[in-house]
Amino acid sequence: MIQERRILYEHLDVPGMNTFDVFRQYEGYKRFEKALEEYQPDEIADMVMKSGLKGRGGAGFSTGLKWSFVPRDIEPRYLCCNADESEPGTFSNRYVLEKNPHLLIEGILICCYAMGIHTTYIYIRGEFTLGKQMLDQAISEAYEQGYLGKNILGKGFDLDVYSHPGAGAYICGEETGLIESLEGKRGQPRNKPPFPAVSGVFNKPTVVQNVETLCNLPFIVDKGVEWYTSMGPTYGDTRFDPPQADPNTGTKLYCISGDVEKPGVYELDLGLTCEELIEVAGGLRGDRVKAVIPGGSSAPILTHYELDTRLDFTSLTLAKSMLGSGGIIVMNDTRNIVDCLLNIMKFYAHESCGQCTPCRWGTPWVRDIVQRIADGEGRKSTITRPKFGVTENGRWGDTGETEEIYEDLDLLESVANNIANVDTMTWNTICVFGIAVSWPAVSYMRKFRPEFEACIREGKLVTLSIDEATVPPEENYAYQQRIIPRVLET
Amino acid sequence: MSDELIHIESPFQFSESNRQEVDELIQRYPVKEAAMLPVLHIAQKQAGYITPGVMKHVAELLEVSVMKVKDVVTFYPMFFEEPVGKYVIRVCYTLPCALRDCKLVLDHLKEKLGTGVASETDLAKGTTDDGKFTVLKSECLASCDVAPVMMVNDDLYKNLTPEKVDEILGGLT
Repeated sequence: MIQERRILYEHLDVPGMNTFDVFRQYEGYKRFEKALEEYQPDEIADMVMKSGLKGRGGAGFSTGLKWSFVPRDIEPRYLCCNADESEPGTFSNRYVLEKNPHLLIEGILICCYAMGIHTTYIYIRGEFTLGKQMLDQAISEAYEQGYLGKNILGKGFDLDVYSHPGAGAYICGEETGLIESLEGKRGQPRNKPPFPAVSGVFNKPTVVQNVETLCNLPFIVDKGVEWYTSMGPTYGDTRFDPPQADPNTGTKLYCISGDVEKPGVYELDLGLTCEELIEVAGGLRGDRVKAVIPGGSSAPILTHYELDTRLDFTSLTLAKSMLGSGGIIVMNDTRNIVDCLLNIMKFYAHESCGQCTPCRWGTPWVRDIVQRIADGEGRKSTITRPKFGVTENGRWGDTGETEEIYEDLDLLESVANNIANVDTMTWNTICVFGIAVSWPAVSYMRKFRPEFEACIREGKLVTLSIDEATVPPEENYAYQQRIIPRVLET
Repeated sequence: MSDELIHIESPFQFSESNRQEVDELIQRYPVKEAAMLPVLHIAQKQAGYITPGVMKHVAELLEVSVMKVKDVVTFYPMFFEEPVGKYVIRVCYTLPCALRDCKLVLDHLKEKLGTGVASETDLAKGTTDDGKFTVLKSECLASCDVAPVMMVNDDLYKNLTPEKVDEILGGLT
């Protein structure tokens, strides 16, 4: 049985942890003091680079690398903390904000010290009223105790931290959308480049980091790079010879919900498998796992054949999915995939910011198609077409068989792929919201095609058994394309 | 330019304490416009919803056009342009809650309060006749481990069942 390794969440449930006094009893702000006294700013940036810490917000981009893009000669520079946690299935930041906000402030202090930043805005979700209240309280306590403000601890380092409430728009979790929203405009993402590291909020260099990423910093400073890299697998990137290290270090706050006995946040080393995580979360509610969404609702779905996939940034990317924000949603054998996709597509159709035409019109279109299939009005042609595939002589061609034409499924794939093409990974929109729509749409449909076909054929919502509903691995393109990375031997 | 064209029935002023808070908020940003969202939140709390008067006043304070404020208000789902009930109930309707029967909760609410579900363009549809409750479907409220959930104004209620909903509604006066 895999044990939880609580680092960020270690003292989360201590009563009064949201107050300065209790936080202080548990090493609070000592790690920042250590950073201030023992290290130069550049040394901390170097430690973060070496630790292999990857951004926990969704993209999994190396934090150290992101910091290295920020020009040091332009003043002022800003830090935006992304606390706009709105990806369905993700809920780890809420607990940090409500129960241990001082840890976030300590992480912010270390980041700002390393980057020479003097102003931080914490963009917190509008719905997190309790979280904002606790955070504001913690910020004013930190000011009172001299950990924020001018000349912190007499070392000549200044920092102001402000909380900034959002107002319920999902797209403001995208970093440039967040910046626009912070500037008091509609949260419509910007074209990149320029990246926020060069020109972000108020057109100044800006570091945008997730709450969880910042909370990792005190522990990296306190216990060192070696300790941090001992957790989680480091893979060999075989595109290079000798293979270069591709670290997936540290712990992750896995948020597991849906059909498991004990849903919740589990802090575990990166790199455990889906099966293991379900076991940690008290096991499945139901008989068999039908599907698992590995990284928030925008991640491509995994079938029961893929439960041995390791849940880390590299493995999931190579399995044609993503870890994203670490929101894992489990579905058992009673669930209907068409119904689940409909729910997700309603969400995206509602949350499209309306800036780019393919997304503004494409997302409601995809929703309408799925709605039609779920209502039993999915369209199917009366004629058939020749089936193309691998023929007897091993080449691509006419197999001599015929196949039925499910017009709505072809249309669904076509519309989704024209918002963002999941095969070539190119999107026709400004931000990655487009790919967040077409990834689930196309992957659900390709991996559970028999269930979609059955709904259209029978004219009602039909739930098939797992074995009937899932496309077998030998016919599943994504499954065949997946690569299992090898752990680097050191 | 077009500010005069907006018909304002009732002008809006921040209360003394709110005005102080707003002034302090504006100080935080190098550009006044950046205080838009927090200021609108305070205004909505005071006025109940974002009236044309609120928009005009906020625009003057932040030195932007009224259209710019309207632009922002229409974008964000948390700002209302029509009157809403004393209690705004948001029932989470996204996948993790749907897997834990949020439909039962919403159906029960609808039946109990005798109202429909409000949409952003038609808030009256989900508001009870006495103006006490407004029922809204909400996107993920980031509490999937305690699904299904709903928010009543600023408070989150977890692990809901129809019985629990009765209890919560009974406590609201």
